[in-house]
Amino acid sequence: MNKKVQRSLAVVSAAALVFGVSAVSSATAAPKSVSLAFQAPLTGSNALTGQDELTAARFALSEYNATNPAIKVELVIADDQGLADVAALLAPGIASNKKIIGLIGPAFSGATQASLPAYKAGRLPLISMSATRVSLTDRRAPVNGFPIFKRVVANDKFQGPALARYAVKGVASPSVYLVDDKTAYGKGLADYTKPNIAKLAGSDSVPENTSDYTSVVAKVKASGANVVIYCGYAPDAAKFVKALRDGGYTGIFAAGDGVLKATFPNNAGNAAAEGARLTAADVPFEDVATPAQMVAYTKLTGIKVPGSYVTSTYNATNIFLACIKQGIVTRAGMQNCLTNGSFKGVAGDTIRFDRYGDIIGGAAVGAFTIKAGKITYLGVA
Amino acid sequence: MNLQVLESQFWSLCLQGVALGFIYVLISLGYTMVYGVLRLINFANSEVFMIGTFATVVAQVGILQNQTDSQSLHGFRLIYTLAFALVFSMVVCGILGILVELVAYRRLRALGAKPLGFLISAIATSIVLLETTRIVTFSRPQTSPRLLDKWSFGEVAGANFRIDTVMVIISGVIIFFVLDRFVTKTRLGKAIRAVSMSEENSKLMGINLNRVVSLTFFIGGLTTGAAAFFYTTVYETTQFNVGFNLGLAAFTTAVLGGIGNLRGAFYGGMFLGVLEQFASAILGSQWKSVTVFTVLVLVLLLKPNGIFGEAVQQTRT
Repeated sequence: MNKKVQRSLAVVSAAALVFGVSAVSSATAAPKSVSLAFQAPLTGSNALTGQDELTAARFALSEYNATNPAIKVELVIADDQGLADVAALLAPGIASNKKIIGLIGPAFSGATQASLPAYKAGRLPLISMSATRVSLTDRRAPVNGFPIFKRVVANDKFQGPALARYAVKGVASPSVYLVDDKTAYGKGLADYTKPNIAKLAGSDSVPENTSDYTSVVAKVKASGANVVIYCGYAPDAAKFVKALRDGGYTGIFAAGDGVLKATFPNNAGNAAAEGARLTAADVPFEDVATPAQMVAYTKLTGIKVPGSYVTSTYNATNIFLACIKQGIVTRAGMQNCLTNGSFKGVAGDTIRFDRYGDIIGGAAVGAFTIKAGKITYLGVA
Repeated sequence: MNLQVLESQFWSLCLQGVALGFIYVLISLGYTMVYGVLRLINFANSEVFMIGTFATVVAQVGILQNQTDSQSLHGFRLIYTLAFALVFSMVVCGILGILVELVAYRRLRALGAKPLGFLISAIATSIVLLETTRIVTFSRPQTSPRLLDKWSFGEVAGANFRIDTVMVIISGVIIFFVLDRFVTKTRLGKAIRAVSMSEENSKLMGINLNRVVSLTFFIGGLTTGAAAFFYTTVYETTQFNVGFNLGLAAFTTAVLGGIGNLRGAFYGGMFLGVLEQFASAILGSQWKSVTVFTVLVLVLLLKPNGIFGEAVQQTRT
């Protein structure tokens, strides 16, 4: 029932996108203007991810507009709720809006997979700030993003080993229980984490939106594992870690970037979340932005501590804007610019994409932990 | 297949399955009571449950001003807070049940609508409640504060008798027993059973049909509200779509036991709760739904009216 309504809403939203109804204009009268689309979950249980990312896109755009550019840029915002079926209905509307010459996103791997057919048909270049599933840039995968898809984050081929490494760091005789949420993201990350686990005590796939984790807790306890790695999203991770702690599990809880949300400690309860080890193919914006940028970001958004994937979204938006600054106003021109260009990240790093859309040389995977209910960055994992 | 887990966790899985089963039983009573009287599936009951979980959080946080990061409560304040939240959730769901009947079904009954009309009306009501909550809550999960410190009475054969687990089981037994006695022994309960057996004859006997139907929805709402309270107290979180999976499980419970049959709902809930735990533990969580619905199909093939059938006449015991 709910999915039907979501689909209906998505169709309406898609229609709105075609006619530019939801365009957030940052332009006035100008000789030339183009649009960039932004696609991420802005409602739904993972809304915080998209909302954080949107602040970065808006901020990059505000910096661009402050230079009074010859080509004005509008941001067209699409809310896919992080759901594949909603994304699949949104994408054709965005793809058919010819004013849009590039798309920042989609944020989630499953939503990206579902959107690709429409974007490939429309030859719309994409730069995702947080879709980490390996197959998206694997030419041999049945659903891959070649040639339009690029991303500015390390994929799970990098994050999986980093997560496996960080989860057991300092643990004597680690024995790991691996749990995924059966989503495109969670299963993908688990697939690249598993081979890097020296001693696997057991594994399980628990569907998203499960309420009761007691049977999984029983299995973890029976296996004698002292490290649990969860590959899924924050709302379910909060329920799971709470059930683990209530069930008497005292070992390490580790998870990937899907759990790196400011809401995670609050939803899990600070005591249950304390010490959780998290990785993300991202570094905090406040660690790489200049003080002046941080002041401007806070002034624009009202946020003092930027959330997850702000750095990568800022980079993705600036890459598009760098091409537009060169006079690019078509999708074909943008595709060429992204494929052959060399760009500067906010940390001063050079970003160039390989043939299939990943950053050449890979991107950093950060290590985080929960201390006193707050996410704390520890450095590269 | 992981049979090793049974060595140390067999009784733990049984205990958790029974506790989960009681939550299913309480929700399924909402379905089974209404079916017994009106022969219709009130699909909106899953959303009544969802509203109940939010009502519990509202009672604890909004009305009694407990913060989400507040310390656990003790003594009288704990009992008062839990009792208030339980009653609040039950009353909200009971009233909502009456409203659902008034808005979605009464006019259709008066017009003698066909079953399809009731079905569409039930689904529409469910969607209205679901989407309204989604919009109001911005689709965000809502965390309930840990007011009940989850201490344990002790472990027996690996089964951890935690306070919340024990509370759900004991309360579930009491609520079920009270409802069972109400339906079998009281004048109003007999009226419900009379309507269940024959609307026409009930009218001839002077029973106010609309009042009995409203009462049935109210009682179904009360038990669903109690389930919502226990769910929120145990899992400490809710979301706009929480009713979907649990509603489906409760509906399965009712069908397994024999829809319209109160005691059937009880045994169906126990069976489903334990089956889910063992299927997840032995085969893996990804096989839970496959196992449950395979068993459901097999049961219906052998016993089309559920394990206990639609009993003598509906809403029977």
